[in-house]
Amino acid sequence: MTLDTAPEVPRAGFNFDNCRRNAALLQGGFKPPTTTKTGTTIVGVIYKDGVVLGADTRATEGPIVSDKNCAKIHYLADNIYCCGAGTAADTEMTTDLISSQLELHRLSTERQVPVVCANNILKQMLFRYQGHISAALVLGGVDKYGPHIYCIHPHGSADKLPYATMGSGSLAAMAVFESRWKPDLTEEEAKLLVRDAIASGIFNDLGSGSNVDLCVIRKDSTEYLRNHELANKKGERQLNYGFKKGTTPILHTSIKDLQITERVQAVPMEIA
Amino acid sequence: MSILAYNGGCVVAMRGKDCVAIATDHRFGVQAQTISTDFKKVFHIAPRMFLGLTGLQTDILTVRDRLMFRKNIYETKENREMAPKPFSAMLSSFLYEHRFGPYFIEPVVAGLDPKTMKPFICNMDLIGCPNEPDDFVVAGTCAEQLYGMCETLWRPDLEPDQLFEVIAQSMVNAFDRDAMSGWGATVFIIEKDKITERSLKTRMD
Amino acid sequence: MGPGFDFTDTPVSTGTTIMAVEFDGGVVIGADSRTSSGAYVANRVTDKLTQISDKIYCCRSGSAADTQAIADIVAYSLNYHRNQTSKEPLVWEAASEFRNFCYNYRDSLLAGIIVAGWDEERGGQVYSVPLGGMLTRESCTIGGSGSSFIYGFVREHYRPGMPKEECIEFVKKAVQHAIFHDGSSGGVVRIGIIDKDGIERRLFYNTESGESKIAGSQSFIN
Repeated sequence: MTLDTAPEVPRAGFNFDNCRRNAALLQGGFKPPTTTKTGTTIVGVIYKDGVVLGADTRATEGPIVSDKNCAKIHYLADNIYCCGAGTAADTEMTTDLISSQLELHRLSTERQVPVVCANNILKQMLFRYQGHISAALVLGGVDKYGPHIYCIHPHGSADKLPYATMGSGSLAAMAVFESRWKPDLTEEEAKLLVRDAIASGIFNDLGSGSNVDLCVIRKDSTEYLRNHELANKKGERQLNYGFKKGTTPILHTSIKDLQITERVQAVPMEIA
Repeated sequence: MSILAYNGGCVVAMRGKDCVAIATDHRFGVQAQTISTDFKKVFHIAPRMFLGLTGLQTDILTVRDRLMFRKNIYETKENREMAPKPFSAMLSSFLYEHRFGPYFIEPVVAGLDPKTMKPFICNMDLIGCPNEPDDFVVAGTCAEQLYGMCETLWRPDLEPDQLFEVIAQSMVNAFDRDAMSGWGATVFIIEKDKITERSLKTRMD
Repeated sequence: MGPGFDFTDTPVSTGTTIMAVEFDGGVVIGADSRTSSGAYVANRVTDKLTQISDKIYCCRSGSAADTQAIADIVAYSLNYHRNQTSKEPLVWEAASEFRNFCYNYRDSLLAGIIVAGWDEERGGQVYSVPLGGMLTRESCTIGGSGSSFIYGFVREHYRPGMPKEECIEFVKKAVQHAIFHDGSSGGVVRIGIIDKDGIERRLFYNTESGESKIAGSQSFIN
């Protein structure tokens, strides 16, 4: 039996039940909690016959690094990937949602989805939420019309560009692009340029850090280079802070045995 | 002060060799006033899976109940045990549903996959951004201290005994420097064949 | 909040100069190419002359997200009516549709739009839909933040019934002046000439000659 108060399948979409309570709590002088941000450097560039996307791998919660190696290049379709900056949960969930819509679109049209399609769905969704979903995206992909890069802002505006940067490190990365980008780069040149742009974000922007992720999308193949370069290796520790067994004083211990013993007994059966 | 720090408390989980550990403190307070010292923020939700919730106590209990409801529906429908990975995916989408009116909690999931027995740890922010590193996850009012402790004490492939000492020492030394957490701690070590629960003797001030 | 990361949270707006002039047999439209987000230039090669139908274009100013969204909706709707009626849409119909959105959602939109184009019924036309959602037909109009710097220039040099090439030169000069004086206008001058045969596009760089200084970049900016 399903009750109205406890439906078996939870209602789809956002739930605003806590809004009034939370507003009242915040009125009491509490600071709103921090969410995980990817104060990020993400970039994308078109080269001769494809696109290269790049991202750093740092996630932050205020001044704390909450993930040292997160993946900011998200899968949308086989020929389309998307880098996300802004509130980490928003970029994650938005790209997941659009990815599934694109797959359904591909199945119903029986065609490879064009990159404009991903761009339109994304910008229309972000516009509908009027900037409350803070996802700043660099969308890149290759379809039968060629390679494309789109730069999508949280309020739902999109720019079609030959090279784009986003996130807090976008200025550092853009400086690299503006000085070294040229039309018709080769794949190797493009990868190096993207690597350098991300590295400049990693080393010059506090919100970006750790490693370089790349994603190369060609006409008929895609290569996701996770941790293409470990820009910041942790030093090898010479000694370990080992503790002798029994260092921590224990009040009591209880052990729950999960070993399940099983015995199978054959039962003779009459054959019809 | 953030609402997440209203009741105090902390949780940490670590991955070891074929095992995981999760630890919680015992304090439940209202700002500076300690109300109770036996409030455990870690819940045993499947034979080899634990869920730790830090933050606002009222939301800890609500979220725990709502998740158990969804998990039970899943297990009844699918007729199989829920593994940690799909459980955290469910938790993540549950929290993101409340993107614009969130529960003030920060969850930690630790467990072994019921089929492969692979260790799994994961934490999230209050709106469900998942984070699955291969070393350790922390949450709570002394997260900063815990990051520092874990970063130095944790190393790969710890045996259950060693893992216990590492997680216990990380936890105890971290919350000794946090007025909002402490007053006893419990460590759960989850292995293929057993779960060991140990209560720690800690400072009670 | 730790280090201040979030300049990207500032809404993106086309602090802009846009312009349109009627001539006998068509219209000339012009715009700069800068899109800014606070003090950062988010796009220096923007195309603010947005196609609505074959022979109707709009010049966008205000919030980039708002104007792109409206332009997409109007373009979709006019395309639908063209398919249903087998007739090319009228410029007035496009302008009126823009007006409806801009007026009905005037409290939540930041959009100043110039609609210009050519149709069989009335030839070249320019309509202005400013911030509150009013609709007026003009023979020459300017818009965007940069326009305040060139009201004098336009008043001095605009004459009704200028021939096409003179109109182009006039629009180019006016936008160049605005780019010079307005911090949130910049980049290149994009010009479109729409008549019964469709659109012809021209591009003037911010150089002495108006030509590009870098070889090979043309294909991307166009």
